[in-house]
Amino acid sequence: MNSPKDDFAVQTLNLTRKFGDLVAVDGIDLNIKKGELFALLGPNGAGKTTTINMLCCLLKPTSGTARIMGYDILKQPFRVKGTIGVSPQETVLSERLNSRENLELIGRTHGMEATELKSRSRELLATMGLEARAKDQVRKFSGGMKRRLNIIMALVHDPQVVFLDEPTLGLDPQARRAIWEYIVRLKKEKTILLTTHYMDEADFLADRIGIMDEGKIVALGTSHELKNSLLEMQTMLIQAQDITEAAIEKIRAKYAEVEATGDTLKISDKQLGFQEIVDLLHEAGVAVRSAYMKEPTLEDVFLQITGKELRE
Amino acid sequence: MRLLALAIRSLKETYRDPLALGFLLGFPLVFMLLFGAIFSGDTLPEFAVGVIDEDNTMMSQAFIDQALPMVPVLSVTTYDDADTALKDLKFGELNAYIVIPPGFGQQVSQNWQGAKADITLNMTYDESDVMISEQLITIINEVTRAFAQIEMPVTVNALPIHVENQIDYIDFIGPGIITFGLLILIPTSARPIVRDKEKGFLARLLTTPTRPLDFILGYSLALVAITIAQIIIFIFGAWAMGMEIIGNLGLAFLIFFLTGLCSVGIGMVIASLSKSENQAEPLAWLFSMPLAMLSGCWFSIELMPSYIRAVAFAFPYAHTIEASRGILIRGVGLEAVGSDFLFLAGWAVAIFAIGVVLFRRNMRS
Repeated sequence: MNSPKDDFAVQTLNLTRKFGDLVAVDGIDLNIKKGELFALLGPNGAGKTTTINMLCCLLKPTSGTARIMGYDILKQPFRVKGTIGVSPQETVLSERLNSRENLELIGRTHGMEATELKSRSRELLATMGLEARAKDQVRKFSGGMKRRLNIIMALVHDPQVVFLDEPTLGLDPQARRAIWEYIVRLKKEKTILLTTHYMDEADFLADRIGIMDEGKIVALGTSHELKNSLLEMQTMLIQAQDITEAAIEKIRAKYAEVEATGDTLKISDKQLGFQEIVDLLHEAGVAVRSAYMKEPTLEDVFLQITGKELRE
Repeated sequence: MRLLALAIRSLKETYRDPLALGFLLGFPLVFMLLFGAIFSGDTLPEFAVGVIDEDNTMMSQAFIDQALPMVPVLSVTTYDDADTALKDLKFGELNAYIVIPPGFGQQVSQNWQGAKADITLNMTYDESDVMISEQLITIINEVTRAFAQIEMPVTVNALPIHVENQIDYIDFIGPGIITFGLLILIPTSARPIVRDKEKGFLARLLTTPTRPLDFILGYSLALVAITIAQIIIFIFGAWAMGMEIIGNLGLAFLIFFLTGLCSVGIGMVIASLSKSENQAEPLAWLFSMPLAMLSGCWFSIELMPSYIRAVAFAFPYAHTIEASRGILIRGVGLEAVGSDFLFLAGWAVAIFAIGVVLFRRNMRS
């Protein structure tokens, strides 16, 4: 049943989960390649965590199934569990154990040998900057420290597939950055499925992004593909002095959307002529201080596809 | 070993929490001292009296069936022979026993017909029990005179004997209190699992290849350590309060231990059926408190209606009380408590099996 040419680490087949009338995950078909870092991006309640919970055998799919490294989540749950490492969305640690004991508990449940487990724990604690407090009970840790431990608990047994559910939820920018850097180092070594509702996180980390909304994958591709092929609008931002009504009218005659607020002009249309706009403003006697094409963001992509803001 | 890793973790979570540990070990001690102080009064609340009918007439039968039960402080048991009654007197089941000698019926009917005749009863009791000689003789005298409708005193031949091991109320109630302590292990056992469930740590462990049996045994191993510590404290406490230990302490320990296992198992089943601590806690207490009452932790269930006794004996605790009382205060051996022993062992195995099945069912929602 495990075909050798199978390059996919995670494969979902019409994966569906309903809670009563609510369809939390609606027939997802995903193929994540071995060594790929795939991000599920979407607002809270989009179905990201439900998807992860089905993949790590905590929730039964209502219909459909999935395979992790070729093992079926319905038929071979313990094989699946032996293959994966999971960092849950909530920080869950055994509060009165120290960080090493927490790591070793997970390692032992995966049948790791004591000496290997010890060196592996030491190494992970060092990478996450936790070794100095390895012997303190984790209930005394700061939120950021707990979060880092929460992630390495998913990695201690060196799993082939790693699920990181909102790995940087609620962290300050500095701590987020540290975790991002660590995740980047894991790329290629492991297949990682990450969920996030931070678009910059998906943008920075992911090889491919699946945008999820109301239980469905509404867009799929690399960050570049999503921004460039899907986004139909270009936007230009201009800083200028003495913006006159006449100048605005001139531009409005040629382009669909023009917004003027104080010294700023925002122009959007399917196609924008950068030089032409600058020239038009010059002719109208406007002193342009700066002008640039706005880089599209995943936020824009999400807004365009779903008509909603990504963050509530 | 997965289950060992889980067990060690559970133990660490417990002993590193001084408050929880203090509760688990301090509670049995306080509990025992409290109950010991309350129940260390020296007599049973009523007189347990045995009757041996050597007369075997309608008259003697009427005396036993109708006259004696009229006295509220008497609890009457009939015996076929004096030897059995003597044994029960020695074991403290009886305060005294009366032998109705042949000719009793004739004496009574003579009195009823107006002829005066002496009435004789033989009563045996423990000479060290002062209450008996003073009160019981008077009571028996009164009731017999009323029955025979005579004015003159009845001759009650007092035959005091010396009983070596006098059984106090603490001896009687001790095993019940220990059993009650073991019933409280039900909420104690449900707590750690349901807490892990509520906080999501169980979900985290469920993403590892740990099997249902590993979980159940892992959690219970830590609880078994607590159970053993509690039983030791309980027995020691009861002993310190004056409970005499006649029989084999090891056998009594084994009975209590099996009971503890049953409680741990019930606790785990309750945890499997609950989603949060707020559900598990009341459920566990709702289960254990009525059972404590039904099983006879605080008072004898001998006189309860038979259907209630049937319910009580479907659960481990009534068996525990009966068996441990036999061992501790009467010194009986395994042959006397064998059926209770097997019942408890069977119950423990069954409840753990149910625990594993329920756990497996709830692994994936």
